[in-house]
Amino acid sequence: MSVLTISSLTIKHREETLVQNIRLSVNEGDWLALVGESGSGKSVTASSIGGLLPRELIISSGRIHFGEANLLDLKEKEWQNYRGKVISYIFQDYQGAFTPFMTIGAHFDEMLKTHTNNSKQQRKERALETLKNVNLPEERVYKSYPFQLSGGQLQRAAIAMAMMLKPKLLIADEPTTALDSITATHVLQLISNLQQQTNCAVLFITHDLRHVRKYANKMAVMLKGEIVESGSKTSILQQPQHAYTKALIAAIPSLRSTKNRLVTI
Amino acid sequence: MINGFRITKPGILLLIGLFFITIIIAPYIAPFDPTDVKMGDRLKPISLEHFFGTDHLGRDVFSRILAGAQTTVGTSFLVLAISLLIGVPIGLVSGFVGGRLDRFLMRFVDAFMAFPDYIVAIILSGLLGPGIFNLVFAIVMVKWIGYARLARSTVLTEKQRDYILIAKVNGVGPMNILRRHMIPHVLGNVMVLATLDAGKIILMIASLSYIGLGAQPPIPEWGAMLNEAKAFFYNAPHLMLIPGLSIMVIVLIFNLVGDYLRDHYDVKNQNGGK
Amino acid sequence: MKQVGKRLLELVLFLFLLSFISFVFMKAAPGDPVRYILNIDDVSITDEQIEELREELGFNDPIYIQYLNWLMRFFQFDLGDSYMTKQPVLKELASKIPDTMALTFSSMAVMIMIAAPIGTLAALYKNKWIDHLSRIFALIGASIPSFWLGLLLMQLFSVKMGILPAMGKGTVLHLLMPSLTLGIAMAAVYVRLLRSSLLESLGQDFIRAAKSRGLSQRRIFLFHAFRHSLTPVITIFGVSLGSLLGGTVIIEVLFAYPGVGKLVVEAIVRRDYPIIQGYILFMGLFVVMINLLVDLSYRYLNPEIRLKGGDRR
Repeated sequence: MSVLTISSLTIKHREETLVQNIRLSVNEGDWLALVGESGSGKSVTASSIGGLLPRELIISSGRIHFGEANLLDLKEKEWQNYRGKVISYIFQDYQGAFTPFMTIGAHFDEMLKTHTNNSKQQRKERALETLKNVNLPEERVYKSYPFQLSGGQLQRAAIAMAMMLKPKLLIADEPTTALDSITATHVLQLISNLQQQTNCAVLFITHDLRHVRKYANKMAVMLKGEIVESGSKTSILQQPQHAYTKALIAAIPSLRSTKNRLVTI
Repeated sequence: MINGFRITKPGILLLIGLFFITIIIAPYIAPFDPTDVKMGDRLKPISLEHFFGTDHLGRDVFSRILAGAQTTVGTSFLVLAISLLIGVPIGLVSGFVGGRLDRFLMRFVDAFMAFPDYIVAIILSGLLGPGIFNLVFAIVMVKWIGYARLARSTVLTEKQRDYILIAKVNGVGPMNILRRHMIPHVLGNVMVLATLDAGKIILMIASLSYIGLGAQPPIPEWGAMLNEAKAFFYNAPHLMLIPGLSIMVIVLIFNLVGDYLRDHYDVKNQNGGK
Repeated sequence: MKQVGKRLLELVLFLFLLSFISFVFMKAAPGDPVRYILNIDDVSITDEQIEELREELGFNDPIYIQYLNWLMRFFQFDLGDSYMTKQPVLKELASKIPDTMALTFSSMAVMIMIAAPIGTLAALYKNKWIDHLSRIFALIGASIPSFWLGLLLMQLFSVKMGILPAMGKGTVLHLLMPSLTLGIAMAAVYVRLLRSSLLESLGQDFIRAAKSRGLSQRRIFLFHAFRHSLTPVITIFGVSLGSLLGGTVIIEVLFAYPGVGKLVVEAIVRRDYPIIQGYILFMGLFVVMINLLVDLSYRYLNPEIRLKGGDRR
C-alpha cells in the first residue's frame, strides 16, 4: 500500500530551481534510499514533505500525497495531525534535535502532551519505556540535558522520540553523517529494528551507498535537482543505467575488491 | 537612496557631505549675530525674518542653532579625539604585550566599566564646575575605556591570524608588525565605533548642559539653549521644539552613518550597547 | 560556595576602591563646601568663623586621615551628616531611594511592555511594515534626547491636555510621565535586540526539530525560541543598566521628582560631599547587585552553566 506519493514536485528559491519534477513513491514497509551528492536537492525534497522548508523556498508545482490527503493543501493547524504523529524526522545534526535548555524527558513529555491524552504519569512511563526500548539508561537520560549526552546517545534518543507514536513514515535526513562509523552502524541497525517492529516506511537520505546496500529495498538517485534513476535496489546496483549512478557505484570502497577504487566521477 | 528603509551608499555620502558643508558654512549663512541681545524682539514667533523665531533675550534662534551646531559637533569631536588618543595606545600596548600588564590594565578597565557612565560624567563635571572643557574632561573619562577595550580585542584577534604568525616566522620585528598590520585593523574598527559613539556623546553633552552642567550661557549650545528657555516654553513652544529637533536630527545622522559602517565592516559593538 | 565567597570579596574590594577614588577626587575638585554651608551671600561671616568650621569638619587634616576617619565611621554604619540639612546621610538617602526605585522599575516595566510585543512582531513579520516601523522607532528612539522627549510629553499631557501632573511626586500619575520618558528611550534599543535575537533563535536547528514533532507554533515560539533569545537581551540589559540609572538622574531633575538623582545633583552644586559619597556607594552596590542577578539568570536560562558551574556566558 502506498504511503507517500510525490508527483512532479518543483521547488524554487527566487528564480533558481532547486528541485525539478520529482517523482517518488514509498510503500508500507519500504526503505527507500534517496542518494545524491550534497547540493543535489535531496534534503530540500525531504524537508518539503513535512512542510519544513525555509520561508524563502517556494513549491512552485507538484503534489505530495500522503494517503488520501495532499500535504501541500494543509493548513498550519492541520499539520499538527501529521508531523510527529504519522510523519517523523531524524536529522543529521543530533544536537539540533533537542532544545538545549530542556531535559530529554521534557521533550518526550511535550510531544506526548501534544499528540495524546495521556496523564502526566502515563506520559512519563511511556517516555521511559521508549528510551529503554532503544537500549538507553532510561532514568538517567530522561533527566539529562542534551549537552550531558554523547552524540550516539542523543541520536538514539532522537530516533526513539521519532518512532514513539508509531509513525507511518520516517524521514531520516543523513542521520549517520555526523557520527563515527561504529556508532553509525548501531544507529542504522536501531532504525532497521524499529522499522520491523512498526512496519513503517523509511525515506532515507544519504550520500553513502554502503548504507543503501544493507538496508534499503528501493533507491532513487538525485543529480542537480532531478531524479535520474529510481527503482529497486538490486536492479539499480546491478544494472545502473545512468552514467552518474555508475560512477557512484564504482566509487564505493569495497572490502572484497579493491581494483575499482581509483575510478573518479 | 533609501532602500526598504535602509540607507544605501549614495545616501550616506550625500548625508555626510551635506552635514559637513552645513557645519563649515554655518557662521557665514547665519543672518544675525547669535549672541546679539535685542530686548525689543523677545519671544518672536517663527517668521520670514526670524526663521526659528527669537528667544527670551531677543536673539535669533536660527543663528543660534547654526552656531550651536559648531559647538555641539566640535565638542563631541574633541571628546572623541582625546578618547582615541588615550584609549587606543593603552589598548594596543595592553593587547600586544599581554601577560601581567594586560591583566592588570583590564581589571582596572572592567571595574571602571561597571559604574554607570552617565553618573560618572555628571559627578565629574559637576564637581569640576560648569564649563565646556570640564564637560569634555568628564566625558573623556568615561569614553576612553571603550576604545581601549576595542583596540585590545582587535589586537588579540589579529594576533591569532596566520599572516601575523607567518610574518613573525619570517623575522618581521614586533614594531613593524604593530605598525603595518595591527594599527590599520585597529583604526578601522575604532572609526566605526567612533561614528556610533558620536551620537551618544552629543546626547550626553546636551543632557548635561540641560541640567546646567557643561556649556554655559551665552555660548550657543543646544542643550543649554533648552535650559535657558525653560521658563518660556508655555508662551514660545518653538524655543523647546527647535533645539530638541536639531539634536535629534544630528544624532540621527551619526546613527545612520554608524549603522551603515557597522553593517558593512562587520564590527561587533565592543561597548556592549552603552 | 567558593564562588559566592569570591564574589563577595570582589564586591568589598570594588566598593572600597570606589569610595577611595571618589573621596580623593572630591577633595581635589575646586569649590569649598564651607562657603556654601555658611551661605556665601552673608557678608557678616568672618574668616575666623570659616576657619573654625573647617577645623570642625576636619578639612585641615591630611587627606588620608580624612579618608580613614570616614572609613572608621563607615564601619559603624555612619556615612556622616549632610552639610545641607545636617541630617545623617543614610537617613537622607533612605528617604529618597524608594522613589528612585519606583521610577527605575516602572521605567523597566514600560520598556518591557513596549519592547517585548514590538520586537516579537518585528521578528515574526520580518521585512513587513511592522518590522520597518520598529526600525524607524529604534532609530528615532536612539537619536532623541530623553530629556527633550520628557519636555514634549510634559507639553502634551500637562500643558495642552492637562491630564497629568508635570512635576513632583505623590500619586501613580506623577510616576507615569517620567517612566514613560525613560521607558520609551530604553525600548528603542531592546526592540531591535529582541528582534535579531529572536530571528537567530528561530533559525536554529532545534526549532525545525520541534516543528517536525508537530508542536504548535505558539508552543515552539514561547517555550523554545523566546527563552533561547533572552540570553543576549539580558546580557545587554546588565551592561546598559548604567544608562538607565544615569537617565533617572536627568529625568528626576527634569520632572522635579524627588529621588536620589535629584538629591545628588543638588549635593554636587552645593559641594555636599557626604551625600555625594553616599550616593556613589549606593550606586556601586546597586550595580553589583544587578550584575549578580544577571549571572543568576544565566544559570536559569542555560542549564549548562548551572550544572558545570562554569563562569558567565
